[in-house]
Formats: sequence, C-alpha cells, structure tokens
Amino acid sequence: MSGCDCKKYEWVKVDKSKCDGCGNCVEFCPRDVLRLDNQGFPYMAYRDDCWYCDVCKFMCQLDAIELETVPYLIR
Amino acid sequence: MAIRRIEADVVVLGGGSAGTFAAIKAKNANPKARVVVLDKGPIETSGAIGRGMDALNIVSVPGYGTPEDVVEALTKVSEGILDQDLAYTLGQGTYGVIKDLEDYTGREPGDLFPVDENGNYKCNYLHPTNKPLYLAMDGEDIKRALAREVRKLGCTVLDRTPVVRLFTEDGKVTGVFAFNIRTGQHYLISAPAVIITSGCVGKFGMPRDGYLSGIYEFPGNTGEGFSLAYHAGAELVNMECFQTNLLMKDFNGPACGYVVIPRGGYGINALGEKYWSHGYWSGDMFLAVWKEFMEGRGPVYLKLDHLPEETIQGLEKILWGTERTVRGQFHKQRNENYRCWDSVEQGMEEITLCSGHSMSGIFVNKNTETTVKGLFAAGDCAAVPQQYLPGAFVFGGIAGRAAAEYAATAKAPKLKVDVDNLWKEIRAPLDRPDGLPVDQVETKIRTKISQYITPPKSDPLMQKMLWWIERMRREDVPNIKVRDYHDMIKATEVQSIIDCAEMATKASLFRTESRWGLSHYRLAYPARDPKWDGKYCVVKKNLDTNEMELSSKDVQKYKWDYPNRLEYDYPEMKHDLGKGFTHPPNDFNDPWIVEKVDREGMDIPKRMFVKKED
Repeated sequence: MSGCDCKKYEWVKVDKSKCDGCGNCVEFCPRDVLRLDNQGFPYMAYRDDCWYCDVCKFMCQLDAIELETVPYLIR
Repeated sequence: MAIRRIEADVVVLGGGSAGTFAAIKAKNANPKARVVVLDKGPIETSGAIGRGMDALNIVSVPGYGTPEDVVEALTKVSEGILDQDLAYTLGQGTYGVIKDLEDYTGREPGDLFPVDENGNYKCNYLHPTNKPLYLAMDGEDIKRALAREVRKLGCTVLDRTPVVRLFTEDGKVTGVFAFNIRTGQHYLISAPAVIITSGCVGKFGMPRDGYLSGIYEFPGNTGEGFSLAYHAGAELVNMECFQTNLLMKDFNGPACGYVVIPRGGYGINALGEKYWSHGYWSGDMFLAVWKEFMEGRGPVYLKLDHLPEETIQGLEKILWGTERTVRGQFHKQRNENYRCWDSVEQGMEEITLCSGHSMSGIFVNKNTETTVKGLFAAGDCAAVPQQYLPGAFVFGGIAGRAAAEYAATAKAPKLKVDVDNLWKEIRAPLDRPDGLPVDQVETKIRTKISQYITPPKSDPLMQKMLWWIERMRREDVPNIKVRDYHDMIKATEVQSIIDCAEMATKASLFRTESRWGLSHYRLAYPARDPKWDGKYCVVKKNLDTNEMELSSKDVQKYKWDYPNRLEYDYPEMKHDLGKGFTHPPNDFNDPWIVEKVDREGMDIPKRMFVKKED
C-alpha cells in the first residue's frame, strides 16, 4: 500500500456492533483487499487495490459493512 | 513449501463470464473430464460481472433480430476487419445463452430478462442497424449462479491462484504453472487443452484521476491472457484498435449510455447540443467526442432530464443496483442529480485493449481454436469484435465443448519443467532484499502508455514508447520488490502490461492508415487506406529468435454483403499559425560560458554550506 496507512482513509466501514467476524467479506472480495485484524474485524489491508465494487457490502449477511464513499482520488 | 502437481484434461485460465461457461460446457460435454478453473479471485465475485450486469448488449432473439442482423452490425463497426463466421456464430448462440442463464439462476422468462406481450424477449435499439439487438437484464446474481454450477459439476476450482506460465512442447500445449496469492502454494498442472478466458487488458492506460484501480474494466484483468498466448507463439490481431473509453468522468464506471440511450437519453456537449447521432460505442462515436473536446465544447454529458420521472427512477434503480453500485454514492457526493441536464459528466479516460468492447485479442476461429494446438480462447481476450458479454458466454461455451473433445483424443502431454528454478524466478521480487515498489513501476508504465500511445497516435511518440518499454524491461522489471504473495502477482501483471504495450505500439506502427475512428487514428496517415481493407495486422512471437514479428493476413472472405463502415470522416487539421517572430542569430560560442569552464573546470561548484550549530 502506498501513501499513508491511516485508518481514517478507508472507505469500507465496518459496524463493529453488527460484525461477527465471519470473514465473508474477506473471502469474497474479488481484489483480495480485506483481511481480519487481530480483533477479528475486517480492514482494508490492500486499500489501493479496491475497485469500490461493493461486493463486501453485498456479501455481508449482517449488514455490517458500508461503502461510505469512493476513493479520494475519484471522489 | 512443496509444489502440488495436478493432472487435468482441460484447464481454464480465469473463472469470469467466459471461464465459468467454458468449465460448465466442458463438464456437460464430458462429465469424466478433469476440469480445473483458476482465477485471481473467488469465482463467485471475480471478473467483469462479479457484482452483476444490467444487459446483454448484443443478441438475436425470435421476433426481434436474426444472426444475420448481428453480422450486419458487427461488419459495420469493425469496418470490414471481421470474420463474419464469428459474428454469425455469436448471433446464433445468444438465445441458448439466455435459456442457460435462466436455468442456472432458476429464474423465469420475464424476471431475469424482459418479455413482450407475445412472450418474446423484448429487445431495444442500440446498434447501427434497424433491428433491436439489445436485451436488458436484471442480472445482479448471475455470477454466483455460474460459480454454483461450476462447483456442482465437480470442476476443481483454484480460487486466488492465477496462472503465470503456459507451457508448450512441439507447438502443443502441455500445461500451466500458478500460485496462490495468499499462501504462495504453487501448482504445476499438466493438460492437453488450455482455455484462456482471463479477460481484457483493463489496466493499460492510466486514468486521469491517477487511481491505479479506478478503471472501467475489472482491475484484475491485466493482460496475462494476451501475454501468455503471445509467449506460447499464438497469433494476436487488432492490437492497434484501442478501446478509447467514454466513461462516467472520474468514477470510470460505465457512462450508463447503454442503459440510458435505449430509453431515450443521449449525449450532449457543454453547450447543451446533441453532438452525435448515436450512442453506440464505436470508434466513430469516440472520434466525435474527441472532436468536441478539441474544438472547445467539452465537457460532454449524458442528458436524462427530459425523460419522465418514472423512467429516471427506473434508471436509478438499474444503474445503482448492478455492476458498479456505488455510482449513486458518487453522484450524491458530487451533488449530481439525473434531473439536471449536466448531471452525468462523461470523459475520455484510460485506453484499454478488449475485444468485448473493441476488437483486440488472441486470434480465434469460430471453434475458439487459436493458432497453437490445444490452446483455446474466449471472452474479452479473444479477438471477436464487439462481442460484449453475450460473446463471452457463447464462445466460452464453445471453447469448453471443443477443449473437452480435443482432450479426449489428444495424448497426455509431457511436462518438462525445472520447477525449482521457475519458482525461484517467479518469487525473485519477494526474495530480493530491496528494490522498486511494484505500484510505482505499474504507475510508470501506465502513465507512459497514456502519454505516448493514446489516440490520435503520433509516430515519433510511439517510437519513444518502444524506447521506454525496452528501458523498463532492462532497468525496472528486474528490480521490482514486493512484500508478500498478494503483491507478487503484480510483478507478473506489470510484465503483461509491458508486453501488451509493445504489441499495441508495434501493431499501431504497422497499420499504415487510420481506421475505426479514434481507435486507430494515426496522425501520419489520417485516412482509411483501401490497401488495408480486409487485412488483419498480426502480432506473433518468433519462438526461435524470441523477436516480436508483425505481418498482415487476409480476413476470411465475406459471406454477407453488408456495408462495411459507418459514415464519418477524419478531421482535417489546418492550424495556420502565421509567421511568428524570428530574432537575430545568437553567438553559439558564448565567451561567458567559455570563461566559466576555464575558471571552474567541469566540477559542480559547492556554493551551499550548512552551518553547524555551535
């Protein structure tokens, strides 16, 4: 990942009160962007590979993921 | 980590639209065939239609169009560089694809596809013919359905395991090498038949917003199929016909044209004028857009505000519900509304190579055979002009059947590969202690592609591109450093992009004319030349010398006599700049410089000193 690694610059937002860490979003991200952190919640490990395709949100059965925005450079 | 060896009958490179259809039809043709599907992602969500798709852009269905109508449309937009058998086969196969998709998704006529009062699939006008050949689709979930079918039939699916080498022996396919981008588990798979369905060269030019993954095509599609076929000695054609996208500016998803235009929308320029008579994605239309910008009437927009409110709401549902669903979010953040005349700004963004939308790819016949024995190709990497998604399905299916039949009779291949050395070579970017960040190397080649070969094409700029390709292969590629297996595939991707850039540049220099509107608008030859009518430009690797060779060959003789072009002309650029100002000649031997060199020598003077703090 190039540039800053700050968590704020992640557009895939996880509602930790809903997420049960099932990893569905990680398994089905077509660009292999997501990983589970050490608390078991998904984060954008390879942020700049994201195609903002929304599959993570689509595949989440608990409605815990929101694509809050699109990447800054295209916004 | 030990290598895993697999013996297979049919190997499918890429589990996208064409790849899943290929695997299904291979298994249908021969249930005993050992079919292996490999993909960079999980086949449930990867590829161009991972999040769904809203239409089959070219079909012939009873009551609306015939296979001959498909031939007519494609003959025009390909400007005569078309194997009409391919177009006819496409038209012939689409109805079966519609039925297959309903079958795999378990959906009824009228649900997945609209039907009219007679029970026929209801098509709309879009193509440059008087027949409706465009069929809308509520296809949010078709990729999941295709993946389910592939797994149900017992294919071996290796998700997140892209192929990085394709082997041949005595001109025949023998197998492939692949690795998992999470674990590094690597595979040597022997097979007599390999189907390349790994999509277009989506990561090619650089989008103007600078975001590497912010492109129209699926960013996992980086031209490995083109490159693997090339290195195996297969012929590629139409590499000079670039896809010069008109996209939703910056978002770089589809500009919605094919959803909006059949329902009454159209393109306008910055003055609010309709600037072109049709919205079909052909080179003449892209040329018209380019001209609007060159003559100061950009930006251009897609106009929807004249449509009834119910239609606009319907369009919002379709456009924000499938394919690239965050576009609703994107509009919202830009304060854009389809009820304003200038709400959808369109832009000409990155160039790509793609047969689905354009014409470039691996040369195939109507049975999807390439020029290498045992190698088949289908989908966006196989040169079937403007075949779109229906082409991926139709020819994917044909490839599956053909490969299964071939594998049933072909001898088991002998794979002679020094696996240890090969794996060492592939993982060198991971093992080397330091080097160039792979995303920067990718940025560099893609910005060069955008700067040097984006149409209109300039000969000196294209020559300079070849200089960059040679330099990057020599200096940059051997020094790429990656941190893990996820990034290791990017080293392969960069090399594929470079290979494709070389093919595209050399093919562009070889075709000494302009054709396909903006797609091959060559400034040194700004007109169509009849001597190139009916001629392919072929790119091929000479396997003895390892040199890239260019040649031409005849397009198959026409069976149907349709007009072979749309009406348009290349603009004549006459910029009379006048005489300008000429100053008196200077003294080339400047005494001031001579005195300086005499006094200081050639060393750079040290005039800056950092004062040490006391």
